[in-house]
Amino acid sequence: MLSEREILSTIEMLRNEHLDVRTVTLGLNLFDCVSHDLSRLQENIRSKIDALAQNLVPLCNEIGDKYGIPVVNKRIAISPAAVFAAPFSAEEMVSVAKTLDDAAKSVNVDFIGGFSALVEKGIAKGDRALIEAIPEAMAATERVCASINVASSRAGINMEAVYLMGKIIKKTAAKTADHDGIGCAKLCVFANIPEDIPFMAGAYLGVGEPGAVINVGVSGPGVVKKAIDRALEENPDLDLGKISEIIKRTSYKVTRVGELIGREVAERLAIEFGVVDLSLAPTPNVGDSVGEIFQSLGLTAIGVPGTTAALALLNDAVKKGGAFASSHVGGLSGAFVPVSEDLNISDAAASGHLTIEKLEAITSVCSVGLDMVAIPGETSAETLAAIIADEMAIGMINKKTTACRIIPVPGKGAGESAYFGGLLGQSVIMPVRNLTADNRFIRLGGRIPAPIHSLNN
Amino acid sequence: MKKVIVSVVGRDRPGIIASVSRILFDRECNLENVSQTILQLQFSGIFIATAPEDLSARLLEEELARGLSPLGQHIFVNDLEPAEPDPVFSDAEPVIITTRGPDRKGLVSRITEIIARYGANVTNLQAVFKGGDDPNRNIMIYEVDLPRSGDPAGLYADLRKKAEELDLEISIQHRHIFEAMNRI
Repeated sequence: MLSEREILSTIEMLRNEHLDVRTVTLGLNLFDCVSHDLSRLQENIRSKIDALAQNLVPLCNEIGDKYGIPVVNKRIAISPAAVFAAPFSAEEMVSVAKTLDDAAKSVNVDFIGGFSALVEKGIAKGDRALIEAIPEAMAATERVCASINVASSRAGINMEAVYLMGKIIKKTAAKTADHDGIGCAKLCVFANIPEDIPFMAGAYLGVGEPGAVINVGVSGPGVVKKAIDRALEENPDLDLGKISEIIKRTSYKVTRVGELIGREVAERLAIEFGVVDLSLAPTPNVGDSVGEIFQSLGLTAIGVPGTTAALALLNDAVKKGGAFASSHVGGLSGAFVPVSEDLNISDAAASGHLTIEKLEAITSVCSVGLDMVAIPGETSAETLAAIIADEMAIGMINKKTTACRIIPVPGKGAGESAYFGGLLGQSVIMPVRNLTADNRFIRLGGRIPAPIHSLNN
Repeated sequence: MKKVIVSVVGRDRPGIIASVSRILFDRECNLENVSQTILQLQFSGIFIATAPEDLSARLLEEELARGLSPLGQHIFVNDLEPAEPDPVFSDAEPVIITTRGPDRKGLVSRITEIIARYGANVTNLQAVFKGGDDPNRNIMIYEVDLPRSGDPAGLYADLRKKAEELDLEISIQHRHIFEAMNRI
């Protein structure tokens, strides 16, 4: 027999605290689709996605209904396209992206990720073609997401790739200038990209992964905030150690939801269950915000002094509670701070509490990186590359994932607003120092060597 | 040995279970299951025990009534006939139906009428009606076993329609979600 408290607290999380499963992502290995004939490759991709993913969306909806938990997004992550489409030119890579877009629409998934290349140590022919195809591919498709891994703790930072991505981001923004450069919202540059991310825009299926696998991304910033609020209301003298315990317990519950739903989807599709990604992923709704958690912890806003310490506490507690709740944890597993996707964070940016420099600082203790950050359109490719390089360095040295999803909004300057719509939200355009200043460091190219893995200070 | 079922109802006070179990022990009965609850200061308990074949339910009821009369309890005793569980419910889906909404007469009746019509069995019901329109003061929680051969879509649709008529918020969820989130 369940207790009244168990039932009502669960329903409260669902009705009033935005508890949901943020994404169920089907990972599909497409290496067996390869061909030197472009149309054959495209046909193979369509057939495979149709065959394996056609039941994903109705099944997720059915299982969501069964448990009363919304599965907000259903997505597909594929093998890196730069590998399975390596023989093709940039123009042909755009055709591959369109095929992926059509396939995603045909099975009704929100996004398909894996228009990706791994170039941390060098850029192969297929990698270069894919990177050069990104601006047109992002403009010509709706649901395709691209990710490029330019650094790792074992390989160092490929500065040629970093500079190239600075230029590509500029071009991508220009190609989608009518929509404030929205193409860049589907493009992530990574250090230490995990092979099993269920979240976009970074989802792809690594080469060490099964042929087909279900990975789940949970959410729940609203649940964590309310748990902290309730606890502090009951006992205003609660210390941070005890608040950490409350976050752990809440994270446990949220993660169990993801584990339950993911395992059932995998079982019904007769494929493997992969991981739960323990990330607090916000949406642009009041009460579903990571930024609000900082205020519950007593800070004026995310970005003020104390933010880094608060985020360290939050992220660690989420991981501890979540790791106990799931047999396999993976993906990004960190609190997200996507500026435009979180109403509270974009307000903090607008009011000047949060700057790009502080965002960069907090990514050293958690979160995934500079995520959905709108910056002035006139930012040069070199400055963009330099921002990316700084973020990659944090990932490389700290042996963690970091990423950049920055949008130089064409024709707009600092203080103006950028509108991306839907879950991508809107944001003030954040000021960047040295917008167009010369940056010889970036032009030097080469590879920043991998760091020493001892003497950890 | 046979089985007897003893029901005890009355105002709650110390010593009810002690008295019932002592009398059963004195009559060489062996308790198998006990469940009790207290609602608005009223005690209600069900005791299932094995008993000697020659102990009549009527005699036991008289003894218990005598023993518990100082405590103001009503006693009912019956022989318990052996029975097998209904195979329809052997692999039923356990579902939790929760409603919140303004208090009015007939809420339980109207919801359970639908549950019964679809052949589903209420295995536990917790209902609190404190009156008024605050939904959090008027809550019903049904744990229901729904036979796999039943029509869950029809049941859920009828329940949701009725809830809308009665201005109730309704949640219908598989039991596993509550177990997964709340129990290690």
